[in-house]
Amino acid sequence: MKKLVLIIFSGLLLFGCTNGWDDVVDFTQIENPNLSESSVVGVPNSSQILLAGTDRELSFALNEILVLAELGADNYVNTQTFFSQFLDGLEMQATDPDIRDTARDIQRLRETAVFGLEIVGPGDPNYTSAIEADFNFLEGMAYLYSAMYFSFLPAEPFGVPLSAAEHYQNAIASFDAAIALNALPEYHLAKARANYYSGNQAEAVAAAQAALGISTDFIRSASFDEANPDGPVNAFENALYQRATFDDLQPLPTLDFLDPKYSFLSPTEDAPVHYLKAEEAYLILAEANLADGNETAAQENMTDLLDLITTREVRNIDDSIEQRIEVDPGSRPDNASVVVNGRDSLVLDRQSGNVNIPSVSGTSLTAADIPSITADDAGLELLYRTRQEVFIAEGLRFADMGVKLILDENEILINDNIADGDPGTRPVIPPFIEAVIPDLDAITYDPTTGVATTVIDLTAILVANKTSDLVLPFH
Amino acid sequence: MLTPFLVLTMSFSFAQEKTISGNVTDQDGLPLPGVSIIVVGTTKGTQSDFDGNYTLTANLGQTLEFSYLGQRTVTRSVGAANVINVQMEPDAEALEEVIVTGQGSGIERRKLSTTVDVLSEEEIDKLPANQIDQLLQATAPSAQIRLSSGQPGTASVIRTRGPISAATSPTPVIIVDGVRVDNLNSNPELGINTGGASVSALADIPVESIERIEYIKGGAATTLYGADAANGIIQIITKKGRAGRATAFFESRLGVMSATRDFLKYERTGEALFENGISQEFRVGVNGGGENFTYNFGGSLYKDDSFNQLNEQVRRTFTFGFTANISDKLKYQSSFSYVGFESNLDFNANTSFSRFSGFEGAARGNLDELTDAEWQAELDRSDRIGEFVDITQTTNRFTASNKFIYDFTDNFQANLTVGIDNRNTVQEDLQTNSLLIALGNIAEGTTDQAEFDRVLRSSFTATADINFTHRANLDNFSFVTILGGQFFRTTDRQNRIDGSGGVDGTRSLNNFAEIGFEDFVLENANYGLYFLENIGLWDVAFVELGGRLDRNTASGDNTEALFLPKVGVTYNISSHDFYRNAGISDILSTVRVRANYGEATNFAQPFSQDRTFAQEPFLGSPSFSFDNPGDPDLISETVKTTEFGLELGFFRDRLFFSGTRYDATTEDALFTPRAAPSEGQFDQIQNIGEVENKGWELELRAVPIETAKHRLAVNVSYNTNENLVTDSGGAPEFVVGGFNVLGSVIGEGQSLGFLRGTAAVLQDDGTYEFETNAFLGDTFAPNFGTIGLNYTWGDFNFFANADYQFGGKITDLSFLLRHLRGFDDTGIPEELIGTTSPFNYVNFFVFDNDFLKVRTIGASYDFGELGNGLFSNVRLGFTVTNPFNFTAGDFDPETTGSGIAVQNGFASGGFAYGTESPPRIFMSSLRFQF
Repeated sequence: MKKLVLIIFSGLLLFGCTNGWDDVVDFTQIENPNLSESSVVGVPNSSQILLAGTDRELSFALNEILVLAELGADNYVNTQTFFSQFLDGLEMQATDPDIRDTARDIQRLRETAVFGLEIVGPGDPNYTSAIEADFNFLEGMAYLYSAMYFSFLPAEPFGVPLSAAEHYQNAIASFDAAIALNALPEYHLAKARANYYSGNQAEAVAAAQAALGISTDFIRSASFDEANPDGPVNAFENALYQRATFDDLQPLPTLDFLDPKYSFLSPTEDAPVHYLKAEEAYLILAEANLADGNETAAQENMTDLLDLITTREVRNIDDSIEQRIEVDPGSRPDNASVVVNGRDSLVLDRQSGNVNIPSVSGTSLTAADIPSITADDAGLELLYRTRQEVFIAEGLRFADMGVKLILDENEILINDNIADGDPGTRPVIPPFIEAVIPDLDAITYDPTTGVATTVIDLTAILVANKTSDLVLPFH
Repeated sequence: MLTPFLVLTMSFSFAQEKTISGNVTDQDGLPLPGVSIIVVGTTKGTQSDFDGNYTLTANLGQTLEFSYLGQRTVTRSVGAANVINVQMEPDAEALEEVIVTGQGSGIERRKLSTTVDVLSEEEIDKLPANQIDQLLQATAPSAQIRLSSGQPGTASVIRTRGPISAATSPTPVIIVDGVRVDNLNSNPELGINTGGASVSALADIPVESIERIEYIKGGAATTLYGADAANGIIQIITKKGRAGRATAFFESRLGVMSATRDFLKYERTGEALFENGISQEFRVGVNGGGENFTYNFGGSLYKDDSFNQLNEQVRRTFTFGFTANISDKLKYQSSFSYVGFESNLDFNANTSFSRFSGFEGAARGNLDELTDAEWQAELDRSDRIGEFVDITQTTNRFTASNKFIYDFTDNFQANLTVGIDNRNTVQEDLQTNSLLIALGNIAEGTTDQAEFDRVLRSSFTATADINFTHRANLDNFSFVTILGGQFFRTTDRQNRIDGSGGVDGTRSLNNFAEIGFEDFVLENANYGLYFLENIGLWDVAFVELGGRLDRNTASGDNTEALFLPKVGVTYNISSHDFYRNAGISDILSTVRVRANYGEATNFAQPFSQDRTFAQEPFLGSPSFSFDNPGDPDLISETVKTTEFGLELGFFRDRLFFSGTRYDATTEDALFTPRAAPSEGQFDQIQNIGEVENKGWELELRAVPIETAKHRLAVNVSYNTNENLVTDSGGAPEFVVGGFNVLGSVIGEGQSLGFLRGTAAVLQDDGTYEFETNAFLGDTFAPNFGTIGLNYTWGDFNFFANADYQFGGKITDLSFLLRHLRGFDDTGIPEELIGTTSPFNYVNFFVFDNDFLKVRTIGASYDFGELGNGLFSNVRLGFTVTNPFNFTAGDFDPETTGSGIAVQNGFASGGFAYGTESPPRIFMSSLRFQF
């Protein structure tokens, strides 16, 4: 026994004589491998890295926006999916987590951009005006989306909810700040859009012209990362093209030839969402010209638009997994002989070889149709139909319908500036939309005759109500 | 093999001395070796040998005293007979069962104010299960153990005294010989997602060579463990060998596995996917030793090909343990185990890749209405998919425990336990082009879009515990004083590599065009000092005082060590001499009351106290984003439990009742409320809640028949639980599980994880109103228990066990999907169908989760000595697992695999969905004892 005590004692003595033994015997030393604030603030190039992160937040925000906006519009119907079950019928509940996530991701975009402008940028010795401009632009995009999709939303954590009109003004201020630092065409177009929806025709036209003055074919895209497990992958591509989850979104048959805008790109990168593109500038100009009765100018704008569209990428893809629909193949229009609303060539046959699908912009409008774009309702309908086609899967149709989402339940409960019953807690749905909600995506289809008909023509309804404050802002 | 046991032989010459021999047996008539037999008033004595036989010399008229631990001492006078056979009976008073778990050092059970469920070696050996939670499922009287799927190694929801935490898995801490082991009872953070079923770390905890399992259920019983112990502790104590003749056994188990079809909506689902399989297992064990060294070795090989076309599992284990007396004062105990576990999984539940949930959720239409030709096409498609599904998991686990016991004096002892558990898991999911084509996920002819994901998880836990125990006995007082320190450190490292853009025919990531990578690390050190004083008063009443000073690295910078006190009192009224001598003791043989108060904690997931940023690769470039918001005040949640208990034994404890009332409050409960969208931040876990659990634990054990040949024992338990979130810290209700519009929710004034959704409520005028955020039920059944039966007739044994629950609610998600897809409107009012989203009437998809399930029925027969003494016993056994299920709904309320896929997530078990029920297994076993 004595021997044992001696051994232990000798061992302890040896331990005591050894330098740096603390590391070996301090078993409570734990290191968090993640980045702390000190690794992000005051570090060279951190603003560039945060800018990439802010772009990434915009991609996340679009993932949320597109599902809700496209389902809420007449563009897509939900046949079997856990993507929002409510927006298809324009049901809005404060408890809907999809609406919550949309609000959060838009405001996360804002918070990240503001963090870049206020903290990270000034602390980075390599901060440039181009980066600062982009932070301003992305902050502006957060306000723009706040206004396009919500009637009221705070502009800061727990802040007072601002109206869509106020958010458009904030957006314009941010875009102006960006333009002052580095005039890019998309900054002007974003400003044009904010003015368009605000009904500021002259400012919208000026900004659209300024954008086209710099470039006539620019695109600003949100990128999606297929390789990084945390993504973001293009969620709407999953919904439209892949078969991984319970996704079977179906386009209105009049738009079949434009679907899917997003398809497999590469193992690294998912198809991008082109959230600002030169086409929009032409459409704004054309609409303004029609509003002013200037048909020739409008037709020129539309010709320019068609010219631009012919230069855009068309992808030749195998879409044979699309069965229209998966659970009941052939129950919706699925072949080239189908006539929709009396028009042919709108539906593609996906089971006999590859199909050509525009990945940026596509339209059924032809040069021959251009003279029909007149300053009456028929001309306006043609323009608005083209607008729907060009922007399919980009979330604009929903905003064009004048529909706006509501504040999230948690925001209502936590934010002292909001009470249930405030304007932002109630959906905004124009009465002429409300009246046709069940028919928004409704079609009749007889597979034997190949005749499909949409129950309503929403474009016609929008134009018929052009004087409403909620839609067609130049009229 | 025939080493003689320690035999004392003494030879003296006296007048009238004669040689007495005989046989000593226990109450079942089985030989009792090692019984001490002394001639009263002399120094003469002996011990019975392995077959219970003894021989000694004594004088006529002298008295022989037969004594054995746990048995009533028997005396016999030496008369004319030369043979004196004795059958001994157990003595509850003298049994002095010693409980180790939660006490720092061993303390007799009757001195404790807390309860402990014990599963003995004998009970464990006869159960067919290979997974510890399955062993305990119907045998732990106050635990609710719900297996989430029938697929191999399935994760489970285990709880005893209600849901105490919204932040952690309810799985108890698992300890093997004093050493904490990985108890991840869900998919790892980065784990392969099958849609539902996950392989649990409980699937590869060794269950061979177990001497006993002790299960303590939180509160004062777990105070000395401090951190993470509020959900209770399951301790496995392995065999270290017994001195004496070496014994060995060989056991072969052969089973047929057949799918449980009770809950299928469509019989054709079974036709497509199920296929009877075979399970085979071989076990060997050797046990023996001498005065200074004892040893035990066990090994097993297990394989089955499951009840369906796809699943397979292989398990290889070996364990050894020994005790060595290094010196008179120093004893060394060691155990080591290795488990290798390989299994594969099928897609299930929440993914469209799943054939089972696809069929049952009518993604392939109403199977009953398909024509034979259409069904054949479905079968062909299903077979094509099944052929290519390739999700595998391989785990290698090593656990080692070392314990040094040093006796300074007879009354003063030091115990040092040091050990490690290392569990390494590789999960792989190969989605070949062929699979993706068969699924219709990519176009026919595609050859370059295969995906291959690999997840590596390494879990390492080191445990050290040192304590000093002093025992003192004064005239009427006894003292047990324990002072100790405990430390453990866990590291969980996960790496996930996702390959994409591959061709078929490879399992190497090198062959994939694109590689994505993720890592995840959790690390925590926890340490504390504890003390315990157990004071005995006249050996009938005992007072416990104790506490732990607890600290861990998963707390914020602004926090300090927590002091967790415990206090308890036990009064064994029936131990008074006056009582034992009074007539009433023949009727009311045991009367015991106890009460205690104690605290235990759960800590938040490590690092959640820190504010962090993420630098995600975004298309090849770095990108910063906000990550965890952080909380410097974050600290463990503390569960404060008060318990009162009563035990009553009647007719020499042949009828035994135990009742416990508990009242547990989780203070500083860790909730992760939803951040306001305007913050733009992720949700942060915070100490803002309070949860209350109250209930009764009642158990009745009875031995209605006990004769020389027959013994029938039955036990029934009934437990209740009232759970309430008494404070949510001002946070609005938040979803912790389930789906967007039909969730498992935490909110003030409701039970933890209650079901919430939009309910369609019939109005007087016949219309429906839609009530959003309606309460749809408690996900945890507030009433539950077990039923067991054990009948012995000579060498024949028959046993059965079952468990039940009632009073909770569960969603039948397969039904919801069938309805969404237009194939099943059962019970849905016509006025609702097609007029609004089914998510506006989710109350029609919520049902009672009541069930009574018979888990095991078994029988065995001991042939005794066979083969001219080659075998000391041959035992033939049969068991049937999961023979009978009685449920309130048409679906299995246990198959909630998709709800426990998240590491450290809350598992409400409120959603039954899309995965197979555990199969029926018909198993035979043949055990040869040498």
